[in-house]
Amino acid sequence: MAHSELILTNVTKRFGGLTAVDALSMTVAPGQIYGVIGPNGAGKTTVFNCITGIYKSEEGSVNWRGEEIRGLTPYQIVDRGIVRTFQTIRLFSQMSVAENVMSGRHIKSSQRWWHGICPTPGSRRDEKEHWTKVGELLEFFNLEEFAATPTASLPYGHQRRVEMARALAVDPTLLILDEPAAGLNDRETAELVETIFSIREKGITVLLIEHDMELVMKVTDYLTVINFGKKIAEGTPEEVQKNPLVIEAYLGSEDDDDE
Amino acid sequence: MKNLTVTVVSIFLVVMAILPHFLDARWQTVAVTFLIFSVVALSQDIVLGKAGMFNMGQAMFFGMGAYITAILNYHYDWPILATIPVAIIVPVLFGILLAAPIVHLRGDYLLVVTIGFNIVFVQVLINNLGGVTGGPNGIFGIDPMRLLGFELSSQLAIYYFAFIVLLLTLGIMFNLEKSKVGRALHYLREDPLAAESIGINTRLYKIFAFGLGAGLAGLAGTVFATQYSAVSPEAFEFIQSVLFFSIVLVGGSSIPGVILGVFVMFVVPEIFREFATWRFFVFGFAMIIMMILRPRGIWPATFGKIPKFLIKDTKHGA
Repeated sequence: MAHSELILTNVTKRFGGLTAVDALSMTVAPGQIYGVIGPNGAGKTTVFNCITGIYKSEEGSVNWRGEEIRGLTPYQIVDRGIVRTFQTIRLFSQMSVAENVMSGRHIKSSQRWWHGICPTPGSRRDEKEHWTKVGELLEFFNLEEFAATPTASLPYGHQRRVEMARALAVDPTLLILDEPAAGLNDRETAELVETIFSIREKGITVLLIEHDMELVMKVTDYLTVINFGKKIAEGTPEEVQKNPLVIEAYLGSEDDDDE
Repeated sequence: MKNLTVTVVSIFLVVMAILPHFLDARWQTVAVTFLIFSVVALSQDIVLGKAGMFNMGQAMFFGMGAYITAILNYHYDWPILATIPVAIIVPVLFGILLAAPIVHLRGDYLLVVTIGFNIVFVQVLINNLGGVTGGPNGIFGIDPMRLLGFELSSQLAIYYFAFIVLLLTLGIMFNLEKSKVGRALHYLREDPLAAESIGINTRLYKIFAFGLGAGLAGLAGTVFATQYSAVSPEAFEFIQSVLFFSIVLVGGSSIPGVILGVFVMFVVPEIFREFATWRFFVFGFAMIIMMILRPRGIWPATFGKIPKFLIKDTKHGA
């Protein structure tokens, strides 16, 4: 196995007196589909927020390919190839699908600020090039016919796809998906599994939080289970499934979560 | 939708190009002010409409441009044309410097801070800082513009000067729409967290919006100073900023919307001048009803400005 991509060491995030993430360590290898699971309120999204720079963890280290990224701003982290989606979809809702996906090309574009005032042949070429890339992504996610549709008027499942297309437009090395199956029906979930596998085939490492255990067991190579901000288990899906602590904390209470 | 905008703006420009020849002196003055206010309103649209920042101090940058032209011309005998770069650059620098510490503020807080800036600016003018602003009376007797030995002092010449400035502004607005920078402003208005999480340095672009808006307003200020050959503090009071703010809201954040907004908020009251102060009574109500019925403005911004080759199936297209 090649060197590790993302190493979290003793990451701790507190909100006032509450410790949302407590000395969490985990290591994601290149090309992995890595899952983070845990009951509601276990601190999963907080971990993701610490990785993507939305929060800064009080303690610990977030190391990305040998570089400490704790304390960087979200856009600086995107610049290093880490991009995320949100549990509650956050699209630019009045804007069209194509414009939403185009936002992911922002950091790849060579345009400078003055090109917005006075375009040059070079900036027009750059613009064309990135729109072409957007076209390819729309095709990949089967969204071509909605290119000009405002995202707010799309069904939920489509919005999820737009959000993933937007994230992939960044050409990420690590794609972080926060509950990508939330709100999807069975058919859409099956499509999502296919999409996640094809994303991995592009050589992109995937880190995902998921509630849908079936999906997690199907797609992930490796799992970390957290509860009350602490890691309670890690391993392959098979190993984790057999772990009594996990069964007690998570699987045992699955019925309550599903309501 | 896009074609409609282009058509409407083209017709508007053709009409505006020949309009002054059909107007008497008073209406020519109104028309020049309409052009100048359109430029300021469009510059406000960059900050408020595109980037979504509640800036209530645009009249300050407008006034800064006007006063720079007036001071350099009156006290230092600079020709008007030579003052233009300064009247753009100084507001840009102030825009950047003032925006940098405040752009992270949430809408309503930003609003209060920018009102504060505007008030401080007007107070500086009234208190005759450095003895160059002329105090409460302002500065009278600014030279007309000279170009290639001609004195462009007629109302018509000033009209076309204002018209060229508006054309330039419209050109920038159109270019902005088709660029990374312009889209970044839309993204950060729609959802700053999502924009940041997709790689956009939202702070930088917010400051950019302020700087660009300030520069255009400053340029409009130069035109304003030449039109009246005078500047005085009351033209740049906070209440003027309220006017520009309302224009963008009432018109809607699109080029035709902003221009319609200027027409409704500035030209229409001029038309009904004979009704004296009653016009503002009706006008206030019209504005309230308007915002209830069309909360996004008369002509709201439309999106979907994407290249044609991406639109595969028109039945779902916007």
